[in-house]
Amino acid sequence: MSKVIIIGAGPAGLSAAITIAENGLDVLVLDEYMIAGGRLLGQLYEEPNGNWWNGIKESQKLYEKAVELGVKIYLNTPVSNIEKIDDTWVIYTNTETYTTSHLLLATGAAEAPLPIPGWTLPGVMSVGAAQVMTNVHRVKPGYHGVIIGVNVLSSAIAMELKLAGIGVECIALPKMNKVTKESGNPMDVMNSLLHVSHMAPSTFVKLGSKLMKNEFMKKLGISFFPKSGVKMWDIPIMLRKAVIEIYGDGKVEGVKVATISPTGEVIAGTEEKIGADFVCIAGGLYPLAELAAVAGCPFYHIEELGGYIPLHNERMETTLDGLYVAGNITGIEGAKVAISQGITAGLSIIHNYGLSNQEAAIQAAIHHIEQTRKEAFIQFHPAVKEGKQKLKQHWENHRNSKKLEILS
Amino acid sequence: MEKEMIICRCEEITYGKLVETANTYNCTSRELKLRTRAGMGYCGGRTCRNMVDSIAYSSSERISTEITLKYQPPIRPISFGDLGAVER
Repeated sequence: MSKVIIIGAGPAGLSAAITIAENGLDVLVLDEYMIAGGRLLGQLYEEPNGNWWNGIKESQKLYEKAVELGVKIYLNTPVSNIEKIDDTWVIYTNTETYTTSHLLLATGAAEAPLPIPGWTLPGVMSVGAAQVMTNVHRVKPGYHGVIIGVNVLSSAIAMELKLAGIGVECIALPKMNKVTKESGNPMDVMNSLLHVSHMAPSTFVKLGSKLMKNEFMKKLGISFFPKSGVKMWDIPIMLRKAVIEIYGDGKVEGVKVATISPTGEVIAGTEEKIGADFVCIAGGLYPLAELAAVAGCPFYHIEELGGYIPLHNERMETTLDGLYVAGNITGIEGAKVAISQGITAGLSIIHNYGLSNQEAAIQAAIHHIEQTRKEAFIQFHPAVKEGKQKLKQHWENHRNSKKLEILS
Repeated sequence: MEKEMIICRCEEITYGKLVETANTYNCTSRELKLRTRAGMGYCGGRTCRNMVDSIAYSSSERISTEITLKYQPPIRPISFGDLGAVER
């Protein structure tokens, strides 16, 4: 039996492991991937102060520090199920079963697909897959690609592909349908881009934000948005063209795009072909909470946090005894927020273990999460803070209803 | 073209079939899954879950207080041998 088990060796899981090991508890970390770091591995961007944030290096630092402190990390180890038997959490992997009293789920996020005719052709991949192939495995996904879906993640990865010498023909919207919805509506996409304007390293977004202070200007901006797109890092970003089909005989050969109205309707007769040997789909991220669901955590769908969130408090405790969450499973945010959440979860575990009183440290760590969130370079949703507030309200309601149950 | 687009790859359920079913029955995503088998293949809905949800909630209101498409263990593919092989 391990004192503490952490599922997920990304920024949240590793920071939690380091915090716990520093306080003298032995920790086991499990991760399904072959390299520690999680989504942090793919990140590569220049910060406003000119420093480069290299996810591979940051991951290595965390990994080495954890190993130095005696943390056991098992990679290539997918967890297929967890359950609580008496007072013990049982963790099932393909070959071994592990047990612990304190279990942290730091399973991160997954990518949502956007279905477009032809999206099952070989050569179509999620934008995150192209990122991992390029930055982690150093394999080019192709020579010239098209990215479908205009958002923070896709524009950041487009730039990374460019750095690796891979051509990106354009970033365009998906044709609007019952799944793509807002991602296919130029106005909605414009709105979602505006909130990142102050932090995005792009003249396009910065320019847009100054112009688009009011609704009238926004409508005007969308109506007169150049059909050939606005270039960022020499890549045309098209808000008035949508990919209506990915074509190819047995593999991707290109995409068909069409001009769309400001509300996303395809304008007949405007179809044209763009050649490409790979296509990336960027539908955004959602919290990967399968294990929390299997364990029986209550869930709430909170749009601002990216999807269904297991109910938890600021100390990263779920409603189930001995089960904790940290990182993107609690809502889609950047790696730095995940690190501060991991530290908080680690402190809560040490405190609850009864080894030492960590109350002051926990309060400081919670404050630090909020501070990190405020200063975040990339924000995935403009109203993350409001989303967190909603969750807090759900937690209060849940606690009050439990109290009533005990009284009656 | 869009109608024939595959949404659930494991069970080969098309966009057209899902939209038509959602419109006919005004159903939740769980009912949509049960009526079409979308999300019931060997991947456990890992690819199409969000899309089935989106299609269902374009004709009925989203239930935000619970996960509508249940997760079942094992949540990752596992061989029968690893699951319960008996040594002889």
